[in-house]
Amino acid sequence: MSFSTHNGGKAGDPFQDFPEEFKKIIEVMRTRLHLILYGAGAFFLLITALTSFYTVQPSEEAVIVRLGKYLETNTPGLHFKLPFGIDSAVKVRTKLVLQEEFGFRSTEANDNTTYQKDNFAKESLMLTGDLNVADVEWIVQYQISDPRKYLFAAQDPGRNIRDVSEAIMRRVVGDRTVNETLTTGRVEIASEAQRLTQEVLDKYDLGIRVVTIKLQDVNPPDLVKPSFNEVNAAKQEQEKAINMAEEEYNKVIPEARGKAEETISQAEGYAAAVVNRAKGDTERFTLTLQEYRRAPDITRKRIYLETMEELFLRFEKVTIVDDKLKGLLPIFGGLGGKKAAEVVE
Amino acid sequence: MMTLPKMILVGVAGIVVLAASLSAAYIVPEGRQAIITQFGRPIGEPITEAGLHAKVPFIQDVQYVDKRILTWDGYPNQIPTRDKKYIVVDTTARWRIHDALKFIQTVQNERGAKARLDAILDAITRDTISNHNLVEAVRNTNSILDYIQKRAEEAKKKVAEGTILVAEEEEITGEIEKIQTGRENLSGLIAKKAAEELKDFGITVIDVQLRRIAYEASVEKKVYERMISERKRVAEKIRSIGKGEQAKIQGKTSRDLQRIDSEAYRRAQSVRGKAEAESSAIYAKGMSQDRRFYDFVRTMDAYKKSMKADTQFLLSTDSDFLRLLRSSP
Repeated sequence: MSFSTHNGGKAGDPFQDFPEEFKKIIEVMRTRLHLILYGAGAFFLLITALTSFYTVQPSEEAVIVRLGKYLETNTPGLHFKLPFGIDSAVKVRTKLVLQEEFGFRSTEANDNTTYQKDNFAKESLMLTGDLNVADVEWIVQYQISDPRKYLFAAQDPGRNIRDVSEAIMRRVVGDRTVNETLTTGRVEIASEAQRLTQEVLDKYDLGIRVVTIKLQDVNPPDLVKPSFNEVNAAKQEQEKAINMAEEEYNKVIPEARGKAEETISQAEGYAAAVVNRAKGDTERFTLTLQEYRRAPDITRKRIYLETMEELFLRFEKVTIVDDKLKGLLPIFGGLGGKKAAEVVE
Repeated sequence: MMTLPKMILVGVAGIVVLAASLSAAYIVPEGRQAIITQFGRPIGEPITEAGLHAKVPFIQDVQYVDKRILTWDGYPNQIPTRDKKYIVVDTTARWRIHDALKFIQTVQNERGAKARLDAILDAITRDTISNHNLVEAVRNTNSILDYIQKRAEEAKKKVAEGTILVAEEEEITGEIEKIQTGRENLSGLIAKKAAEELKDFGITVIDVQLRRIAYEASVEKKVYERMISERKRVAEKIRSIGKGEQAKIQGKTSRDLQRIDSEAYRRAQSVRGKAEAESSAIYAKGMSQDRRFYDFVRTMDAYKKSMKADTQFLLSTDSDFLRLLRSSP
C-alpha cells in the first residue's frame, strides 16, 4: 500500500462539519497538495532504491525469497531484487566455521539462553561401556553447506546439532571402556563421533557439514580423579622399584665378573709359577746330580760343608760343647763376639 | 476535478477492492504450510507450497503451521532400569507436522503438540528403559567385548614376549555383560512406538535420541566409590608387582653373584690343583733319579731356608762339622 493513495482517500471526506482551525489546515493542504505529492514521490523512490539492492559479504551467501517462496541463492557481491519486501534476502554465513562447545564455554561464545541454565558438567559427564563415568568435553565445528536447507529444513538447526552431537558422543563413548576413553581412544572416538553425527544430520537434511569434532579435556569425574592419579603414581613407583633393583644388579654383577676373572688369572699365575718352579728345581737337581755322580763322596762333602759354612756365618750365637768335658755346664750368653765361634775348653 | 460524492464513491470502492485483494491473497512462507478454513471449517487440502496463494476473501481464514523439523526436548526423568539401577534419562525427539489438518484439529498448535509429546514420549521412554538393563541404554554394540578380549590377548602375548611384566586388569573395571538391543535400537524402539501413537495427531516422529543418560545422584556416589576402590586396587596391584619384580631382580643379583664367585673359585682351585699335580709329577720324575742324593740336597736346602740368624745354636764338638776341632784328621 502506498503513501499517496492513503492521503488522497482521506482528503475527500466530509470536512464541512470540521471546526474552523481544521478547515484551515485542510485548505493549506489543498493548496500545497503538489508539494506533499512531490515529497511522497521522493520518499517512495528512496524506499524503492533502498530495498532494491543488497550486498552479500564474502563470508556469506544470500537466500532470496519472493513472496515467501524460495527463489535463488546468491553469491557475494552487489545484487538487485524486487523492492518493498516482494523479494527479501536472508544472508547466511556459509564460509564461516561455526563452533558448538560441550561441557564448557569459551568466553567469546555467546550462547542462547536454553543452555545457560544447564550445568555444564551434566553435558560432559557420560557413562562408559564398563558402566564407569567419564567427563568428556568436546567441540563440534560445522559449516552451513546449503543455506536454503539450513533456513527452511528445521525450526532450530543449532539445537539439533547440539542434541545429536550429545547423543552420538554418548553412544560412541558408551561402546568403550573408561580407560580407552581416557587414554588411547581419543582420536578414534572423535572421528567416529564425527562420522555418525554427519550421518544423522544428513538424515535430517539440514544443509550442515560437520568440519570436525575434537575431544578437549577428557577426565575421570572430579571425585575419582585422585585415585586415577594414584594409579599413575603407582606405575611410577613400580618403575622406580624395578629400576633400583636393576641398578643394583648392574652395579654388582659386572664387578663380580671382573673379580672372578681376577681370581682365575691369579690362579693361572700361581699354576705357572708352581710348574716353573718344579721344572727349575728339577733341572737344578738333575745338573747337580750329574756332577755328584762323577765324584759322589767329594761332592756330598762339599755340599755339606758349604751349607754349614753358610749357616754358621749367618748365626749370631753358636755354643759349642765338647762332650769330653763332663759336668761342665755350658755357659750361655755374653761369651762370644759377633759372628764368632768360641770354643769352651 | 471529480465531484465530492464521486470522490467518496471511488475512495470507498478503492478501499473495498484493496481489502478484498489483500484478503484474497496470502503468502505461505518457506518452511510453513497453511490450512484454509471457512467459518472455522477446514476447506480442502493443506497448502504446503510456499509462495503467493489466493482464497475467497473475508469468509476464508488462513491458519499456518510449521512444515520444518521441530525439536522436542524431554524433561530429564528418573527411571529404574530392569536391573534396578536408577538413572536419569534425558531424551530429545525430532518431529514434523505431516498432516496439518489433523494437527490443527487435534492439538491446535505446537504448544498443544508439546503436551502430547511430553505425555507420550515420557511414558514410552519410561516403559522402554525400565524393560531393559542399564547396559542396553549405555552401549550400542558388543564391540567392547572384542576390545577387551583383544587387549587381554595382546597383554598375554606381551607377557610371553617379556615386553610387559604382568597383564594389568586395568581395563575391565566395571561389569561387562552382553547386550541384546543396544542404545540405538532402544531409541529406535521408543521412536517407533511414539510414532504409532502420534500418528493420529498428524505428527511424524523422525527420531528419538537418548541425549543424556546419567546415574541418579545416590547411585552416582556409589559408582564413584566403586571407581575409587577399583583404582586403588589397581594401584596396589601395580605397586606389589613392582615390589615383586624388585625382589626377583634382587634374588637374581644374589644368585648371579654367588654363581660367579663360586665358579671363579672352582676354576681357580682346579687350575691350582692341576698345576700342583704337574709340579709334583715333575719333582717326582726328576728326583727319582737318585733318592738318597735328593734327600741330602733337599735337607741341606731346607737347613739354609729354615734357620734364622738369631737361632740359639748349641753344638757338640762331636758333630760331623766340628769333628776336626778336636782331632786332626
